Amino acid sequence: MLTTVTMLLAAGVLGLLAVIVAYVLGWANYTFHVKVDPKIVAITDALPGANCGGCGYVGCGEYAEAVAAGRAELNLCAPGGSGCAEKLAQIMGVEVGQSLPYRAVVHCAARRDQRLGQTVYLGEPTCVAANLVGGVQGCTYGCLGLGDCVAACPYDAIHIVDGLSTVDYDKCVGCKNCARVCPRNIITMVPFKAERMLVVACSNKDFGPEVKEVCEVGCIGCKACSKNAELMSIENNLPIIDYDAYESEEQFAKAREKCPRESMILVGKPSPKDLAAVAGEKLPDRVEADFKTTVDDTEWRG
Amino acid sequence: METLITLIQIAIGAALINNFVLHYFVGICPFLGVSRRIDTAFGMGCAVTFVISIAATLSWVFTYFILRPGAPLPAWIWQMAGGDASTQVNLSVLSYIVYIFVIAASVQFVEMYVRKFFPALYKSFGVFLPLITTNCAILFACLEIMKHLQDPMRLWALPEALTLAVGGGVGFTLAIVLMAGIREELDACDVPKPLRGPGIALIVAGILAMAFMGFAGVDRGIQSTLNAFLH
Repeated sequence: MLTTVTMLLAAGVLGLLAVIVAYVLGWANYTFHVKVDPKIVAITDALPGANCGGCGYVGCGEYAEAVAAGRAELNLCAPGGSGCAEKLAQIMGVEVGQSLPYRAVVHCAARRDQRLGQTVYLGEPTCVAANLVGGVQGCTYGCLGLGDCVAACPYDAIHIVDGLSTVDYDKCVGCKNCARVCPRNIITMVPFKAERMLVVACSNKDFGPEVKEVCEVGCIGCKACSKNAELMSIENNLPIIDYDAYESEEQFAKAREKCPRESMILVGKPSPKDLAAVAGEKLPDRVEADFKTTVDDTEWRG
Repeated sequence: METLITLIQIAIGAALINNFVLHYFVGICPFLGVSRRIDTAFGMGCAVTFVISIAATLSWVFTYFILRPGAPLPAWIWQMAGGDASTQVNLSVLSYIVYIFVIAASVQFVEMYVRKFFPALYKSFGVFLPLITTNCAILFACLEIMKHLQDPMRLWALPEALTLAVGGGVGFTLAIVLMAGIREELDACDVPKPLRGPGIALIVAGILAMAFMGFAGVDRGIQSTLNAFLH
């Protein structure tokens, strides 16, 4: 008798509570209704709703708002993958494949022995410190080669080779960390329309004679390139490439031929010709990391 | 007057001496998650205080009239069904599910309300407002109130329960605002690299908890002072 009444009471209490709460919440939902952009609702529905924060926003809701406002890329959701990105692209009415990969480019080509007017620098071994001191090398625009960008790169994609920061385009993902830390702002992000891109490998804004005093390879601003290629112009004694109209490196073949200093270089994947040139040489094999602990191979003698 | 002294004791006990966050370690999730900026932290504290008061009031009503051993409603139904008046119907097994239900519903309600009338606050809460649903500080307050509704001789009335809830909420706000203040200053400090982020936050929380241990025994002093003042 007591058990039956208790059970019935328990069921009755919970049932009654559910009805009351449902009514109150339903009323509140109707009364406190806020109009939201239907796009945000659709995007929120298309996202996995894991609230993992992998996209860099606090939750799926905030990411959905950012996407709807055009502030965020469509492909940031790692759990949703490419299917999710496609759905978002459909909702936003854009094509997902439109975005070009941006990669870091160092606008300096002078290796250690090509820089003139160098002095011995014994200070803090960072570019920021050396940049403050001045007089470390003749060129006040070029790479200092002390590796602030190397320390900033989370992907091990930039290294100092012969005193010059060199990007490894197999590893670079275009996170901009190196461009952000470079005190001389010589690293910029270039849209890679092809596997290899033509870039201007100098940042010196001085006139020709002054450049020749401090560097063996730097651009002297002679305008030979801008006269021979439509997509190039000279500003502050430096050539500028119009990457919006850039289609292939062939457009610049004549300009490169005329350049007296070889200031324009190709960066990115090596060409077939370059690969053929080193085909005969024996290159060291790539060493893969071996994730083993010291006890993995130890024989157990318990 | 005795009631007033009891209420003051309960409030100070919940806010300072047995601070929910720093003494019982409940409600750590928003305490660490939303304590980056003082204004957001204060908003979160106010939201928790608000929700905790509503949840505590509702759960006191449910516990007092329905759930506690010897509650009037089940007893009445029991006698209507022809039961013996000396047997008690005990529905306290339902307490957890009812509390969670009430808390979830009141958080939903608060979320809708804030979204309608304080959009900026709603934005700054982000995902943390729904997280109050699973905030153990609120369930803890409800269970603490239930503990004081077990003994039929010394039942808590609604004012006591509400005082505990508001005191606990104020204590939570105090703790989270203090934490946010410290963390704002911490941004300008040279914290060793391995400790940055959660590491230093937990260390700071621990030191804060130790500092709050200094309040132990304050309630007895306040009680004797008030007694001397009144008599």
